Amino acid sequence: MSDLDRAIEQLRACRLIPESQVRELCYKARELLIEEGNVVSVDAPVTICGDIHGQFHDLMELFRVGGDVPDTNYLFMGDFVDRGFYSLESFLLLLCLKVRYPDRITLIRGNHESRQITTVYGFYDECIRKYGSANVWRYCCEVFDYLALGAIVLGASSELEPTGPPIVNETQSSMPLDDDELETEVLNSRGEVTMSTYRPRNRSSSDSSDTSRNISPPRDISAAPGQTAGAPLRAGAPGTGASSDGNGSATTTRTGAVLCVHGGLSPLIDSVDKIRLIDRKQEVPHEGAMCDLLWSDPDEIEGWGLSPRGAGFLFGGDIVKQFNHLNGLSLVARAHQLVMEGYKEMFDGGIVTVWSAPNYCYRCGNVAAILELGEDTSNGGTIARSNGEYGRSNGVLGSNAATTVVSPGRRYRVFEAAAQDTRGMPAKKPVADYFL
Amino acid sequence: MALDLQPPDSSKRVKVYELRDNDWFDRGTGFCTGQMLDEGPQIYVQSEDEPNRVLLKTQISKDDGYQKQQETLIVWTERNGTDMALSFQEADGCAVIWDFVNSAQQQLLSLAPAVGCLPRDVADDALSDDLESYQSIVLPAPNLANLGEIEQIVRAASMTQAGRDALSKFIIRDEYIAKLVPLVETAEDLESLADLHCLCNIMKSLILLNDNTIIETVVADQIILGVVGALEYDPEFPTHKANHRQYLADQTRYKEVVPIKDPLIRRKIRSTWRLQYLKDVVLARILDDPTFSVLNSLIFFNQMEIVNHIQSNAQFLRELFSVFDPRNADAKRKDDAVQFLQQCAAIAKNLQAPSRAQLFANFISHGLFAVIAFAVKHPNPAMRTTGIDILVALLDHDPVMMRGYMLKAVNEKKTPLTDTLIDLLHAETDLGVKTQLADAIKILLDPQIPLQDPLARAGPDYFKIRSSNLLSDAFVQQHFDESSKRLFQPLKHLANRATLNDLTFQEVTLHSHLVDILTFFVRQHLFRTRNAIHSESLAPRVAQLLTAPQKHLKLVALKFFRTLTSLQDTFYQALMTHNNTFGLLLDIVYDTMPRDNLLNSACLELFEFIKRENIKPFILHIVEKYREKLENITYVDTFQNLIIRYEQMQGYGAEADSVLFSQDDSTPRRMPLNGQRWQGVKDIDPSEEDYFNGSDEEDDWTQENRTVLAAGAPNGSSALSKPLVDYPDDDDDEDAMDIKPEDDESEEKQTDESSAENPKTPPTQTAQTPPLERLSEKRRREEDDDDDELAKLTTGPKRRNSVSSTQGSGLLNRKKPLSIGPVGSGEKGASILGSVTAGTAPKRIAINLGPANKHTTDNDSCATITPNPEESNEKENREGNEGEDEA
Repeated sequence: MSDLDRAIEQLRACRLIPESQVRELCYKARELLIEEGNVVSVDAPVTICGDIHGQFHDLMELFRVGGDVPDTNYLFMGDFVDRGFYSLESFLLLLCLKVRYPDRITLIRGNHESRQITTVYGFYDECIRKYGSANVWRYCCEVFDYLALGAIVLGASSELEPTGPPIVNETQSSMPLDDDELETEVLNSRGEVTMSTYRPRNRSSSDSSDTSRNISPPRDISAAPGQTAGAPLRAGAPGTGASSDGNGSATTTRTGAVLCVHGGLSPLIDSVDKIRLIDRKQEVPHEGAMCDLLWSDPDEIEGWGLSPRGAGFLFGGDIVKQFNHLNGLSLVARAHQLVMEGYKEMFDGGIVTVWSAPNYCYRCGNVAAILELGEDTSNGGTIARSNGEYGRSNGVLGSNAATTVVSPGRRYRVFEAAAQDTRGMPAKKPVADYFL
Repeated sequence: MALDLQPPDSSKRVKVYELRDNDWFDRGTGFCTGQMLDEGPQIYVQSEDEPNRVLLKTQISKDDGYQKQQETLIVWTERNGTDMALSFQEADGCAVIWDFVNSAQQQLLSLAPAVGCLPRDVADDALSDDLESYQSIVLPAPNLANLGEIEQIVRAASMTQAGRDALSKFIIRDEYIAKLVPLVETAEDLESLADLHCLCNIMKSLILLNDNTIIETVVADQIILGVVGALEYDPEFPTHKANHRQYLADQTRYKEVVPIKDPLIRRKIRSTWRLQYLKDVVLARILDDPTFSVLNSLIFFNQMEIVNHIQSNAQFLRELFSVFDPRNADAKRKDDAVQFLQQCAAIAKNLQAPSRAQLFANFISHGLFAVIAFAVKHPNPAMRTTGIDILVALLDHDPVMMRGYMLKAVNEKKTPLTDTLIDLLHAETDLGVKTQLADAIKILLDPQIPLQDPLARAGPDYFKIRSSNLLSDAFVQQHFDESSKRLFQPLKHLANRATLNDLTFQEVTLHSHLVDILTFFVRQHLFRTRNAIHSESLAPRVAQLLTAPQKHLKLVALKFFRTLTSLQDTFYQALMTHNNTFGLLLDIVYDTMPRDNLLNSACLELFEFIKRENIKPFILHIVEKYREKLENITYVDTFQNLIIRYEQMQGYGAEADSVLFSQDDSTPRRMPLNGQRWQGVKDIDPSEEDYFNGSDEEDDWTQENRTVLAAGAPNGSSALSKPLVDYPDDDDDEDAMDIKPEDDESEEKQTDESSAENPKTPPTQTAQTPPLERLSEKRRREEDDDDDELAKLTTGPKRRNSVSSTQGSGLLNRKKPLSIGPVGSGEKGASILGSVTAGTAPKRIAINLGPANKHTTDNDSCATITPNPEESNEKENREGNEGEDEA
């Protein structure tokens, strides 16, 4: 068993590794991350996760629900540290896994992966408490500077393989017509389907907008059965042909790429390629493109708005729609905001917030979710590159008018905080000795 | 309203504190009396220094807002919501005023004829009915049989404020907690888990009543173990039992280097430790915001007293520092003493600047520097870290003072601390320590320290130091040059290396630190650093590092040149056009393209910046010299665009420049990617304008000064882009460029040559520069607050960060988000409004954000607000300030 495997084992048991090992780990991680682009390309299948915030035991629960590394590919959208009491264990474990299985796990930077923020919200203190000096904090912050700013998921399937019959009655799920394909599915932590939505397979009907998709998430999955939580049951009313295009047989369809960032969009970034022009190895700035990617939030507004957070912006549905269209994206996945249901799709499914810290701060009472995107095997496994190289030299407004972008099939696994029995009482580590 | 009340006959010496931004602000020291006036009883504090000044004048109201903490503190909340505290010199004085307040309140209460008679009560106390019913809360004497009942009463009472008040009163009066404590052991003996869970819930509820006196009771010697004993049985974790008692009962955790004899202080040390344990461990999960701040204030006041005791105890200090006497062989004791001092320093961080200054001054006069020197040379890396922690605490506190001490040592021909640190940096093998050393050297050598929090420093002293500092400018420069020479020696030796492929791990780390420091110096002190870079010819060495096989080392070197580029200074531009720097940079692009990775992006960003800012000398140089290379890079359009820019320049004569640039006005160049999108063009404020207009004869310097101001962060957080854009058609600049070149640079363009002159004439330059530098630096200091985002990022918080804070007191911590949040948003607000001048806007807008915040954060952003005590405190606090400002 290699040192790395041993370290992983130890961290899985929520026991810290010695400082010298942390240092070595961080150096290895740095060598690895320096090779990654600002936007990492990731192939489906992949499971996308949101904020973790040092809730180690819930991270373990996440792996239990979503499958273990390296069996499942993971993409974590930042905010590994702060707030929870086990930021070190959580982040170091993820980093170990990254170094051990570089192609199986992708880590991108969140706004909490910053020197300034971690001094305020707990990670710094935790390092001092657990290692006696700020050295480990420094090593970790150095790694933060190397983390990618986003990821783009390619080759996701537009259709899900049904997991099984829904356990909840049909009020929460639409019954599929023979022709329909499964677009979204929500599973609880026992793997039971609690909701599914379908879209028609035949793209034949009306000429209605090719961008409107009407997948509404269940606002509250704990809603009592009988209460129609997910109101529009079908992808658009019959005949509106959601996700269809009206250009007949000459057009091609493909699953659009999924952009994953921690916060959201930036007024300075109109194409994914622009993100590549950022020198990301720095502390998260107070403004500018890099800051926005990590700090912004979607909101029910038109255009851009001032963010109450004091960094980043608010952006509306029109912005998302345009950005997705210009970049051939079907979805922006992001984290950064607590959602009680664990995930929340907005703007006709153009953007989704994924939140993976259940019972946030040990008191918020929310559930968490992860988002699974399946692999598109219909083309014999060939990935239709829809970004990255897409439109790079001929600008973003290439002749892609004839191509329709279909959103990927999305499977949300919702889970609750780890059972109390599997962990001790969460608490910070007390100081060892004191003079004063 | 006539009260029969005898005001105290003498005045008591007291410090008045006000809670501002979650920090106890010292309003001053004075004499406190109670007074009976027509409008009612009052507490009145008259300033000690200026007898005419009234530090405090507050009406005593019957609302139960006053609390006595410990022996010498009275704490309450003013009607406008401000938290106040009086810290008495003597416990007796405190008792006298406390009695006065109490009897005044009692009489006021008895006088108030009926509930709701006073309009204010109706308005803000909808619970007055409940008040009546709860005023008589009485819990039965606890025994195992009625615990369930007690738990229910306690829970019910906790629901309302009035209930909580009444319950708190009863608990305190009846010393109820002491009655509960014995039951824990009984229940344990009976192994009655249900009862223990009950007890745990009761204890939790009582602590969360958020009453100072109750919390102080809880940590008292006879009580604490019983309380945490009950809390070990948390019904939420039925299968677990914590071991708080084991931890807290362990006497050996308390280390004593030199015994502290005062029993009161010993008790305070103990209870502070317990409070911290409660906060961090026992209650960590369940703490609500108010209880969190109560714990923090208690800890704060305790620590203040402990530190005050220590520093006023000369006998103790003498004993403490004598531990380091070379004749003393007890190594363990020395180590402990270093750790003791580090804890003092960490605690001092939370104190207010004057008391902190006093403490450090006291330590220094007893020989703290010798202790630091001892620690940083310690064979154990952990001790070295501790030593540097102390040093960094001092540097954070007052870098100017530290530099004063250092220069004094130089003046007296002693080895200055910097030399020691530099030698250590070169030799250090522990990477953590090495990083700390590099940070400390940065600050110590930093010839001009930007004001970090001018408010925190005592005014007159500060300016005295500052002015004496200015007088010794030439001396500072000389010292800086000498130290730089010493510091960058290893970098210079790279010249002798044929290849960088055999760099050892230690060398790689050292060089990346050195280049990082150099980058920092260049950014902060353009002019001072010139000598060092020129005389040691460091730029070619950094360029050499671009060829190192270690990518992160390449990145560090790249960052250096990126910084030079953003300065837009002719001297530094010349450095870059001379050493084949761009050739090496293009090599990196070639090596990494078309792969998308960090190094590649960082290179692209640099060339994009040159293109965006239209840095003429660079574009000319790059395209003329490397055209073929550029043409071969096709996977991005950056390089083709550079060639286009170049051709545009060639197509027009010098006179046509203005045409070219006015054309460009309509192109996106005027709206650079990162800089200006929202804020429009920022106006130069009038004083700045005057300044530039006023110094005609120094035009080229002024030009440079201006570019210094304008140069922002490498990644485009430059707020002042306008001067940059003006640069090409600036007449003054044309003059500067007309200076006749020296012959050996003939292939270079004019601009390069005029700048290339600078390095050739350092001696004459130093003769005339100092006054100019002072001017420019003065400007820079003024700019720092508003514009220099980067300086804020790199100096302020980062340095603060490097100091350890073992107790993580929220008092201090909660101060920080304020500086991130509102200020940040304020700036953003200012820039969006565009026309608002930078000086005043941030504050006002930050305040305006308060309510807006409230609106938008209801649902989604509760990620940032609700769950976190710190942040919601911040919000509350901001709203509190707002109210205060309006009032």
